[in-house]
Amino acid sequence: MTPLLRRIVAIYIVLAIAVFAFPGGLVSWLDDRNRSGWLDAPLAVMRGVDAISAAVGVKAVGQRLRKGFADVIGEDS
Amino acid sequence: MLFPTIEFGLFFAFAIVLVWSLNSRNLLKKWVLLGLSLAFYASWDWRFLLLLFASGAISYLVGLYVGSERPFRRAVLLIGVFLDLGVLCYFKYLDFFIAQALTLANALGVNLPLGFVNVTLPVAISFLTFHAISYIVDVYRGRLKASRSPLDILIYISFFPHLVAGPIVRAHEFLPQLASPRRPEDFGFGENLALILGGLLKKMVIANYLAVMFVDPVFTDPTQFSRFDLVMAVYAYAIQIYADFSAYTDIAIGVAALLGYRFPQNFNQPYRALGIGDFWRRWHMTLSSWLRDYLYITLGGNRAGKLMTARNLMLTMLLGGLWHGANWTFLVWGGLHGAALVVDHAYRRSRFYKRFGRTPWAAALDWAVTFHFVCLCWLFFRSPSLDAATQYLAGIVSDNGAASIMPAIVWPLLAAGAFTQFIPPDSRFRLGEWLDARGQAAQIAFGAVALYVIVVMAPSASAPFIYFQF
Repeated sequence: MTPLLRRIVAIYIVLAIAVFAFPGGLVSWLDDRNRSGWLDAPLAVMRGVDAISAAVGVKAVGQRLRKGFADVIGEDS
Repeated sequence: MLFPTIEFGLFFAFAIVLVWSLNSRNLLKKWVLLGLSLAFYASWDWRFLLLLFASGAISYLVGLYVGSERPFRRAVLLIGVFLDLGVLCYFKYLDFFIAQALTLANALGVNLPLGFVNVTLPVAISFLTFHAISYIVDVYRGRLKASRSPLDILIYISFFPHLVAGPIVRAHEFLPQLASPRRPEDFGFGENLALILGGLLKKMVIANYLAVMFVDPVFTDPTQFSRFDLVMAVYAYAIQIYADFSAYTDIAIGVAALLGYRFPQNFNQPYRALGIGDFWRRWHMTLSSWLRDYLYITLGGNRAGKLMTARNLMLTMLLGGLWHGANWTFLVWGGLHGAALVVDHAYRRSRFYKRFGRTPWAAALDWAVTFHFVCLCWLFFRSPSLDAATQYLAGIVSDNGAASIMPAIVWPLLAAGAFTQFIPPDSRFRLGEWLDARGQAAQIAFGAVALYVIVVMAPSASAPFIYFQF
């Protein structure tokens, strides 16, 4: 693998981990823009990712941490 | 499409692969860079593209003319500058000037047949104008050869990492980078990853919490807050605007570097400044040097005696203030900074400074006075109107009879903001070298953990980038 390809792969893996840890954001983002159905395929993929993330408990950990942090600092929403 | 959004994440993931895959075919890569930049700009409103093309055409044609040996070069340069400024004035200042004219006419009992134009302010118009003017003036001054490629000029003006809020990149720094394929090994990956993640942390955590939980409510209605809260909100805003704006330019510099393009530094721990002149060498450095090179020096700089130097400093800072927006608060902000620069200029040349100015106690006093003066100026900058700023200052004097309700989270955020001013300036290079030496697995682990922590800590509500509106 060339150094350039290693960088690009690293960026994609970091983004993929973030998406897997917090899939809800991308699901809602796609859902909001899918009025005519042109994003059905990526949305279906992301719903699958969301389901796997929830099944293995990664999503719940992220949500708990976010809520815990928001409670600590006193954020309302 | 702003940086810390899903849109931009997807856009960048697509762009980095596309741009590097075409690296050996430079002309095609440049067309792709232009296409990406136009798509980025059109994501706000496709009609703004006309402005971009117009600015590019003016810069290209005027640059060709003033870079030649033809007569009336100066006149053509002035026409180019006036066209660039004319567009800026029309969109940004016309309604403000009409309002002032109507107010004055009303006070004099004259009926002026004037109406507001009510146009939408195009995104990035100020930064666009800065880039366009710097190109044609640099060509005129012989600092740069006129580009024969309209494509290069359009990319220079519209390149998406700097398009919305800088840093202001000079043509002589940028255009040579378009001439040949880029070498990824010239740009450390770890360093730029750290720069982008640091920027995300500053914006999404420090700036957003300070804005949402404290600064915005206090500045919305200062009459409801105690003296302590009012004073603390000014300090909090000082940290917020630094975290917000430096985050944007850090991300811009990092994103450009990951695409193979180098941008200049824009901030250098400004709240450590010893003197207001020093502050402007550390804050929005690319704007300061732009104002110095194209306004202050053009006005005569310090070449015609103390009085003219003072006038030139005042005019430069008043116009620099007005550049931020069509509001008297920005003019007052610029005027205060201009006056402080005049005093600073005189002080640095005084016998008192030469004798005592470099002692530790004088440096401590210098820092304290500079920092608090800058904070006072931020009060005007942040206030929606001069009346609101006066009301805010009156609240600090009278206390408003309210109890303090400052959230406890503000303390650690202020501490985090202060920390950014005192970490060694080369920290990101050292962290980058450390990451690069450890390889891909360490970079992925660092990136994933940092991004995870930032998303966990980020508030659900977000404040827009402050400099986005300028």
